[in-house]
Amino acid sequence: MNEFLTISFYGTAIVLMLIGLYAALAKKNLLKIVIGLSIIDSGLHLLFVAVGFISNGTAPIFSPEVLESAQQMVDPVPQALVLTAIVIGFATTAVALALVIRLYKHHNTAAIDEIKNLKW
Amino acid sequence: MVISPVQYIAIPLMAAFLIPLFGKLNKDLARIIPGLVLLYLSYISVVLMNQIISSNTIIVEIIAGWRPPWGINLVFSPLTGFLASMFSMLGFVIWMYTYNFKPEVDNAQKQKFYVLFMMLITGATGIVLTGDIFNLFVFLEITAISAYSLTAFYRERDGAEAAFKYLLIGSFSSTLILLAILLLYTQVGTLNMAEIALKMPGVDPFMKGVILILFFVGFGIESELFPLNGWSPDVYTQAPGPIGAIFAGMVVKAGIYGLVRVVFTLFDVKEILPLLVIIGMITMAVAEVIALRQGKLKRMLAYSSIGQMGLVAVAFGIGTHDSVFAAIFLMFNHAIIKGMLFLSGTYLVYNSTEKTLDDVDGIGKHLPFTSFLFALGALAIVGMPPFAGFWSKLYLLMAAADVRLMTVIAIILVVSVIEIVYYFRVIHRIYFRERISTIELKIPSFNAKLAMFILAIIIVAVGVYPDLISGFIERATTDLLDKQSYIQSVLSVGLK
Amino acid sequence: MIKQFFVILILSIVGYFLVDAFFKVPFGEKRDNVGNYYIEKSPVDLKVSNSVTAIVVNYRGFDTLGEVTVLFLAATGLGSIMYRRKQKGEKEVRAKNPSSRIIQIGSQILFPMIILLGGYVFIHGHLSPGGGFQGGAIIATASLLMLISYRKFKVSHNAITWIESIAGVVFASLGFIGLVLGRTFLENFLPTGELNDLLSGGIIGIIYIAVGFKVASELTGVIDTVLLNNRPEAQKEN
Repeated sequence: MNEFLTISFYGTAIVLMLIGLYAALAKKNLLKIVIGLSIIDSGLHLLFVAVGFISNGTAPIFSPEVLESAQQMVDPVPQALVLTAIVIGFATTAVALALVIRLYKHHNTAAIDEIKNLKW
Repeated sequence: MVISPVQYIAIPLMAAFLIPLFGKLNKDLARIIPGLVLLYLSYISVVLMNQIISSNTIIVEIIAGWRPPWGINLVFSPLTGFLASMFSMLGFVIWMYTYNFKPEVDNAQKQKFYVLFMMLITGATGIVLTGDIFNLFVFLEITAISAYSLTAFYRERDGAEAAFKYLLIGSFSSTLILLAILLLYTQVGTLNMAEIALKMPGVDPFMKGVILILFFVGFGIESELFPLNGWSPDVYTQAPGPIGAIFAGMVVKAGIYGLVRVVFTLFDVKEILPLLVIIGMITMAVAEVIALRQGKLKRMLAYSSIGQMGLVAVAFGIGTHDSVFAAIFLMFNHAIIKGMLFLSGTYLVYNSTEKTLDDVDGIGKHLPFTSFLFALGALAIVGMPPFAGFWSKLYLLMAAADVRLMTVIAIILVVSVIEIVYYFRVIHRIYFRERISTIELKIPSFNAKLAMFILAIIIVAVGVYPDLISGFIERATTDLLDKQSYIQSVLSVGLK
Repeated sequence: MIKQFFVILILSIVGYFLVDAFFKVPFGEKRDNVGNYYIEKSPVDLKVSNSVTAIVVNYRGFDTLGEVTVLFLAATGLGSIMYRRKQKGEKEVRAKNPSSRIIQIGSQILFPMIILLGGYVFIHGHLSPGGGFQGGAIIATASLLMLISYRKFKVSHNAITWIESIAGVVFASLGFIGLVLGRTFLENFLPTGELNDLLSGGIIGIIYIAVGFKVASELTGVIDTVLLNNRPEAQKEN
């Protein structure tokens, strides 16, 4: 059972990251590259949360009923880190999209092969 | 309020949030505030450096009242303090230079420029000061986001393309670093760098290897090491001139600091050091050869900058006390000299759109002061005797000779000759050719001249009298190599 | 073809090492790490029931200050990248066609509710799942909804600047007050109250409200900047 969970959680996250990496490396369209980057981010965030998980764990939030259940709470640190990572990922994506818009306006295309004023 | 290292971060952040409001009151305030902030930071640098040197301690400041490893802490040690002080002071000089650089830029844009400019410096300072590995990542991203935006600052250049390229490679770098932090957390269960270093011997060797490789590649991208430095020539070329100086002087330096901190303090894997030497040598050789073939001034400076970073990596990689001393000295020299080359070089090709080397032909007669300073910087960076660059190269060669690394010495010497060739070619063009280009020249304003002049004074002063700075560097070297006292002073802070 | 081959090679190397490394990390096991300390201490020391909030805003509050700055920089950088001098007689057009009546009425009904939900989420950040970032993002979706349904819905950039600056200044000032009161930056200086009370956790609640306002205004600003630029160019640049 645990084996299955390992494969499904870590596996999904890693596969997501690889899909994103593929898109970022192989796609020719700027927008698709940006999408690839944010898929990598999503995989990474999933990996963070998966690492902090505890079997049968509850959210690390105390309420009058679950005050005694501290032993069964999942690790809150990866969750806190992933919050920061999400915001940073958002910021990077926003800047990337702004650059794509500007490149598109300037060159009238989003194909990476046609935007080659600089050497790639 | 007592002076403490957290002000390096908190005051610029506060100022950055306030600039949009003050910008509404008076359009000049947005330009003046960053200067005041950087001036104040230079002042506290002097005070704090004095404090740690005279009392022979390091300052560990805890944040939010939680002592390490539970809270985040800042470490102001001879090494981090030296770098932070250098960033603040160099930042102030570059601010002075930018004050009325390109007056035709709209006010709304200027305001954004100064916010991003200040945060670029703050991010780099935060990277060196923090004692927490995830916090380091956050500062890395602050630096990165400002750097992407500043690269694309001018609309009339291909900045957006360079910035996109930088962003693409930069996000890989941050993904790798984040993965490394995550794996590290699963292994040692903490994010505090001192505690990680303490628990590192117990980590499974395979995991250690994977984490170290992830960090190595991640920070290698930031510090322009081969083969992941494809972003930097374009970024240097497309970004505004003074920003090129900040990249060379601070952003890359912060990147290599991260690499060195990880290799020397967090990990106990000495096997990685020869790899650093090899990569450094390849970086240096490839970059200098490419620099020789460049027809554009800023691209040439950019490749030269990559080459110098390779040299720094070699020096760190040798790993002895002497070579680390040489490496830190090189970092300092490169920051000052390359900063000045970018500042003066920008005026040499100010109005030119292509910024080719042809544009500087015979410019020595028309812009005597700027040309002279550029020539001085060129002589200094190749390592001519009366200037600062000479000493760091000499120390590095001596350190390499001590451990009998003859190949390294040979390569450094060959590369230096290449460097001399292409820098002297520019000097030759400046002074011994007739000016044919009809592009209108821009005379630097007084503050820009003053900024370049200050850097020139430092280069000459350190060159004539290296003891001015070598005491600080000596302390910084000892600090970096003494892992135990770092761990000890961080983890004992706040214990009652 | 060669490129494809390289991409697949890179993917397999990266994939192999990631799988190899992460599958060695046991899944679902309790580990000995700083997380346990936070779970144990946050209800006692800070009287905050949501441990994640306690970490984000207090134990690792410095990260959050940096995070807020990253967002601020993204908004600033976006403005700088997309900046264009306004030409005379230029109209700011957002969408070519107005939305249908159904969407317009629907978003009018939803708008206040979404704002309310967002406010609820960030005010209760220390008690329940959620917080400043989540609440701020919810509020930004409300303005996104209005921006896509009404062509003439205008977001005041002046107001956005004020809100984001003041919220940022509040966050940083709370940090400085902790420092001035003789202790450390961002240290809690208010009474912590009772566990599970709305007024608990000292400065955590105030910081999360400031963060909520800041995130909401910044995300709205970002969305608006991107949408506004979506107009046909009057002339080709350069």
